[in-house]
Amino acid sequence: MSNSHLFLPSGFPRAVLQNGLGRYICQLQRITIKFCKHHGASRGVRNFIENDLVDFARNHPGIVVYLKPRRHRSPVLSAEYLNGDKDYVCCHNFTVEEVRKWMSVLRTQQSGQTIRYRKMWHTDHPSIQGVWSPFTNKPPHINLETFPSENLSSAHPGPTATQLLLDMYNAEIEKQKKESEGGDNRE
Amino acid sequence: MVFTSLVNFARSKGPDEFWRKRKIFKLAAHFVGRKRNCYSIAIRYVHRALVYATTGRKLKKQDMAQLWETRLAAACEEHGFTSPLMKESLSRNNILLNRKSLVELAIWEPRTYQGLTSIAWQKAIEDNIEGIKDLQPPPESLTKK
Repeated sequence: MSNSHLFLPSGFPRAVLQNGLGRYICQLQRITIKFCKHHGASRGVRNFIENDLVDFARNHPGIVVYLKPRRHRSPVLSAEYLNGDKDYVCCHNFTVEEVRKWMSVLRTQQSGQTIRYRKMWHTDHPSIQGVWSPFTNKPPHINLETFPSENLSSAHPGPTATQLLLDMYNAEIEKQKKESEGGDNRE
Repeated sequence: MVFTSLVNFARSKGPDEFWRKRKIFKLAAHFVGRKRNCYSIAIRYVHRALVYATTGRKLKKQDMAQLWETRLAAACEEHGFTSPLMKESLSRNNILLNRKSLVELAIWEPRTYQGLTSIAWQKAIEDNIEGIKDLQPPPESLTKK
């Protein structure tokens, strides 16, 4: 089914600025955790903040973590990336485990944008021997040709109808000869 | 003045009508005009789109197979060979490459493809596969080992 109704941009798997070829740079710039201090929907997020947040901040010094306690609202993890785009995950009624997993998803994402992969692979060098061109399998001496050229200009018509008929006639004659010879040999 | 009879003209099919119609509108989000916004028009075009998607799955495979066959024949003809001979000889050599892979090699790695053509040609001559006699003798570039 065509997924045009999703209005999803398409692309190929790429790493931002060849990230990982040299040093890996975490693309997550800052993460804002909005939660309610009292409501039950924020329980998972609150537990995450109590248990795992300090370790997270310590292990990833490149990510700035902001906490925003906001009364009477659903908890949200709001992420901003180095290329400027944003992503958010609504953590309403999440468990601690789910919050941890979504935090790691946001941390390891390249950007907030989801794209449809046209192919699941990508290479900057698809050809080693050189991509085919119409001249790849042609003899190189045609490069040295000077124009006007007699042998390249001449027409190459196929065998004429007369020639074809003559060939058929000769083939028949030979066939009959062979049959008569074979008959003689048997006798 | 209160118009009580106007209420009788509203046709509501039930409490889930909104969600039932939403399923159709979601699929019609990229259509143009009333096909996107009016249910009784949208449903016709959504059904048509779903039918096209179903038949298209089979057609895509057919189209790709046709394309690969055309390209394989063209690649073989450049070397003076034929595609059925190529397939037969390569499979007798236990080189089990399908048309898609052969065509990709012919485009991106033309020298490898040339090598495969020479292997196929030699096998075809050895085994005297049907069709080899109709061809011109192999060019020198293909007979070098």
